[in-house]
Amino acid sequence: MRKLSLLLSSLLLGWTLACGGGSNTPSSTPLIPAKGLVYTDPTGTGWRLVKDASSTGTRIVLNLVGPSGLKTRGAGFNLQAPTTVRFGKFVTDDRVTTGLPILDTGVYSLLNHDPRDLGHEPIPNDPLEPRLLAGGVKKGNLLTVGIFQKDRYQSAKESGQALCRIALEFDPAVGLNAGDKLGLVITKSGYLAEDIGELTVHPTLEKTEKGRLVPMPIAVGTLSAN
Amino acid sequence: MRRPLPHPVSALVLALALGSGSLVAAPAPQLDRATLAVHRAQQPQRIIQAQAHFASLRAQFGLGEGDAFVARHAFTNPEGEAIVRLEQTHDGHRVWGGQAVAHVLPEGGIRTITTSVRTSVALQGEPQLSGDRALRIALAHLAPKGPMKDAPQVERVVFPAQFLGGLASKLDGTGRPVLDRSMSVTAKLDAPYVWAYEVRTRLHNREDGTKELTYLIDGNTGKILRIQDMVQHLEPAQGSGTGFYRGAVTLNTTLANDGTYLLMDTTRGTRTNQFVSGYQADPSATGWSPDIPALQVWFHQNDSDGNYTWMDGLFQTPVGVTTWGDGLPFTAWGQEGGINGQTVGVDAMSAMTTTWDFYKNIFGRDGMDGQGTAVAANVLNNFASPSWDSRDNASWSTWGQYIDLGAGSYPANPKGFQSMADLDVIAHEMTHGVTNPSQSHYWVNSAGYEEAGLNEAVSDFFAQMVKAYSTRTPGEDSVIPDTDGADWQIGKNVGHGTPLRWLDKPSLDERSVDGWFDGIKYMDGHFSAGPLNRAFYFLANGASSTPGSASYSPYLPGGMTGIGNDAAARIIYKAITEFLVGDGTGTITFQRVREACEQAAWYKGYYSEGTPAVRNAFAAANIGDAHNQTTPRTQVRFADFRHDDYIESTHFSDYSTRQVFPKGETVVPRITVLNNSNTAVTWSLGGPSMFNGADQNISKGGVINADGSWTTPNVMAWHSITATSQADPKQFAEGRVFLIGMDTDMDGEVDALDMAGVSVSWYLWGALNPAHSVFEAPLVDDDDVAFFVDAMKSTWPVK
Repeated sequence: MRKLSLLLSSLLLGWTLACGGGSNTPSSTPLIPAKGLVYTDPTGTGWRLVKDASSTGTRIVLNLVGPSGLKTRGAGFNLQAPTTVRFGKFVTDDRVTTGLPILDTGVYSLLNHDPRDLGHEPIPNDPLEPRLLAGGVKKGNLLTVGIFQKDRYQSAKESGQALCRIALEFDPAVGLNAGDKLGLVITKSGYLAEDIGELTVHPTLEKTEKGRLVPMPIAVGTLSAN
Repeated sequence: MRRPLPHPVSALVLALALGSGSLVAAPAPQLDRATLAVHRAQQPQRIIQAQAHFASLRAQFGLGEGDAFVARHAFTNPEGEAIVRLEQTHDGHRVWGGQAVAHVLPEGGIRTITTSVRTSVALQGEPQLSGDRALRIALAHLAPKGPMKDAPQVERVVFPAQFLGGLASKLDGTGRPVLDRSMSVTAKLDAPYVWAYEVRTRLHNREDGTKELTYLIDGNTGKILRIQDMVQHLEPAQGSGTGFYRGAVTLNTTLANDGTYLLMDTTRGTRTNQFVSGYQADPSATGWSPDIPALQVWFHQNDSDGNYTWMDGLFQTPVGVTTWGDGLPFTAWGQEGGINGQTVGVDAMSAMTTTWDFYKNIFGRDGMDGQGTAVAANVLNNFASPSWDSRDNASWSTWGQYIDLGAGSYPANPKGFQSMADLDVIAHEMTHGVTNPSQSHYWVNSAGYEEAGLNEAVSDFFAQMVKAYSTRTPGEDSVIPDTDGADWQIGKNVGHGTPLRWLDKPSLDERSVDGWFDGIKYMDGHFSAGPLNRAFYFLANGASSTPGSASYSPYLPGGMTGIGNDAAARIIYKAITEFLVGDGTGTITFQRVREACEQAAWYKGYYSEGTPAVRNAFAAANIGDAHNQTTPRTQVRFADFRHDDYIESTHFSDYSTRQVFPKGETVVPRITVLNNSNTAVTWSLGGPSMFNGADQNISKGGVINADGSWTTPNVMAWHSITATSQADPKQFAEGRVFLIGMDTDMDGEVDALDMAGVSVSWYLWGALNPAHSVFEAPLVDDDDVAFFVDAMKSTWPVK
C-alpha cells in the first residue's frame, strides 16, 4: 500500500511538470537558432583535446596533446559525438592523407627507410609510401582515428605537443539552438610506448607484450552550439 | 603537389599526312607479285620515312628533342603498304609501353596509330640506382633455387606511372584463395614518369620449373613497379581426353652427318631459334647446331616412372630409317625419343608446318614473328608439382619462340588429356607468337586485363582457321575455305570428344561467358575470351534469329549474316597486326578490338558492304551497339572506389574498380548505371567469373541486405559480387572485393587503434601475429598498411 502511494505521487509530479511548470525551455527564454560551435579546453596536463588556433566559428579543430616528458610512438582514440555535430575531414596536398578525419602535425615519423635495403647504396625515402594515419566515422557518429610510427628504428617522440588534429563542424541543417550542449565522450584510447622491445627485426614474446597499446584517459573540453 | 598522370591520346590519329584526308577509300587493290616486290624493296626507305614523320609530330604530343621513335618491326602488306611499328624513346631509352604504328602508303602518305604514344615525357636527373642493383633487387624477389636458363637482361627504360602493377591472387597450400604476395605490386609514384630498369628473367630447371618473369624496378627507390608473367598458356584447367591426331603425314626432316635423321625442317625459318640456343652443338656426329634455322621438335626426357629428368632431346631416327612414329598413344616412359614418342613428334611437326604455311600463304607472314624466326616445340612434358602441372597444358614462350606441350595425364587421370600435340592446340600457341612477337611488343595475358581475353580469342579463332585451311582443296592455298574443318571448337581431340571451348556458344563450357560485362577482365583470359570468340564466329558464320539456337544472341535478336571464314580472318588479322598496338600495358579493351576490326573492314573494303557486319557481330556479343542502333545500351559499371588513394585507380592495371573492405562488417559497394534513367540494381553474391569453379581464387559469401548494403562474411579472401540492372537484366557488372582482417587487437571492434598492431609488426621477420597481414604472410609491410587505410576510408568515409 505504501508503495502504491509513492508511485501515485511520482505520476502526479510528472503530470504537473508536463503541463508547463517544469519545462527545460522556459517560455520566457526564446529559442535562438545556433550559427556555430564553441569549445572550451579541458584543464590539466595529461592527455587532452585542446582547441587549435585554426578553428573557426563553424569548424572546431582539436589537437591531441599528451603529457610533457612522455615519449610515444603513436596514439589513437575513439570519440563519440552527438549526431547533431559532424566530424570534418582535412584536405592536404598529397594523395595519401587527403580526405581523412585526422591530420598529421609532423611530430611522428610516418615515413621510413626501405627495410629491404640489401646492404648496398641507400635507397631514398618514398614520400608517398603508405603510412599509419587513418580514421573514419562509424555508425552512431563515432570517430575513430589513429597515428602510429611503423618503423621501429625511428625514435619515440615527445608527446607534450600537438600530435594530430581532428575537426568538428557545425551543421546548420540539424536545427541546433544556441546554448545546446554537445557531449563528447572518449570511448577508447591508447598510445604506443617508447619501449617496444629490442631493436631487431625478430619477434619475441617480450615485443608482443610491449607492443600493446597503453590505455590513456583523454580529457575533453565542452562543446556547445552558439 | 599532385601532378596529372600521363594518358595516351584517346583516339586514333589517322590521315595526318594525307592530302585528301578522306578515309572512305575504295577497296585497296591486291597488288600483283611484281608490284608488291617493288614496294617491299622500298620498305627500308619507308621505315626511315615513318621515323621522320613521327619526329615531326613530337610537339603535338608534348615531346621534345630528346624524344624519338625507333622502328622495331616492319612488313609490307598485300596492298603494298609498309606497316612500321616504332618504339618511343626518351634520351635514347625506351619508354615502357610507348609505341606507335605507321602505315606508309604506296602513294606516299602516312597514316598513324598513336593510341600508345606517351605524351609529355619528362624526368628529373639520372636514376640513382645502377642496372646491376636493379638486377639484384629483381633476383632477390625471384629467389631462384636453380640455375637461370638464360642470363637476365637489364634495360634502362622510362616507366609511365599509369602502368604500375596490381594485385595477384593464388590458392594457398590448403586450397584457400589468398592474395599472391609475390606477384602483387603496391608501390606508388608521384611523377607521371620515372626512370626504371626492365629486368627479364627466365628459369627452366628442376627446382624452379619454368618461369619467365619480367620486372620493372624503380631507378631511384628500387621498388618493384610491375611484374609480368611472360609465359602464355593454352589452358590451365583439366578436362577429359583421348585420341590420336594426324595419322599418316609427309614430313620434312633433316639427314644428319652420321646418317640418322633429325625431326627438323630447314625449309621453314630463316632465323635461329632462341630456345635451342642453350643446347650444345653436335658438330662431329649429327652436325646439329643451334645456329641452324629450322622448325624442330624436341622431347622432354623423363625416367621410366615419368619423372622429368630436366634433360631434353631432339627427335632422331636410326641410320637409314625415314619413318617416324608408331601411331599409338604414348606409354614408353623413359624412351621418349623412341618410335612411340616419335608419334607425338610427328603430330607436332605436322601441325607446326600447317600453321606456318597458313600464315605464309594466307597473309604472307614469314614465321610467327614475321621475321622468319624458326619455331621449336618441346613435347611430352610430364612435369607436375603441387604448384604447377604441365602434363595437361601447352604454352608459348615469347622469349624462346617455342611451344611447350604436355604429355597428357590420360588415361591414368580419366579427366586428363591425351597428348597436347594436336593441330588446334599448336595453331593456338603459334598464334600467340603472331600477336606477341617480341618482349616489348605483346599483349598482356594475365587475368585482370581484357587484353588477356583478346590474346586467347585471337589464338582460338586462328586455330579454327588453320583447321579449316588444313582441309582445303590441294592447290588452293591462298583462300581459307568455309568447310567443316573449322568446327569452332578448341581441344575436342585432346579431350576425346569434349572440347575445351566452343566459339559459337562459349558458355557451353560452363565457365566462359557469351557477352561482355564490366568486370570480365577478372576472368582468366581463356574464359573471358568468350565474347570475342563469339563475335569472330558471328562475323564469319552469322547469328541465328531463333531463340534456343546455339548461335542466337539476345543482344542481337534479329540475327545477322556472316561474311565467311576468309573475309573474317583477313579483317581480324589486319586489325591485330596493323591497328592494335600490343605494347605490353594491357590497355586494349574489347571495345577497342571492335574499333580496330571496323577500321580494318572499312578501310580495306574486305567486306564490300562496309562495317555493319563487324558492328553487328560485336554487338551480338554485347561489345558496343548494333549497326544503326539509336539508343545506347544500358551499362552497369563499378565505380572507382579509392580514387586518389594509395592504390591508384586511374591506371589501367587490375587495381581499378577493385575494392577493399573489412571482413564481418556492413559495407556499401559503389556502382554506376549509364544510359538509363532507372539506375536501380539488384545485388547478388558471386559472379560469372566463378562459373563452375572457373576461378577458384574467388569466394562469395555474406548477406546482401535490403538496403543494398553488404554484410561481408568473416573470411579474409577475394570475394565476388554482382550488380544487375533492374531496367535491363542483360546488363550487369561483377566486382572484386578483398576482405581483410582488421581487428588486430582482437577486442571485437575494428577501429583506428588496430593500426598499432600493424605498427608493431611491421617488417618483423615472422610477424607477432600473422593474422595482421592481409596477405596471410608472416611479414607485415606497406601493402598491409595501404589496405588497412583504404578499407577504413572505404567503409567509414567522412561525409
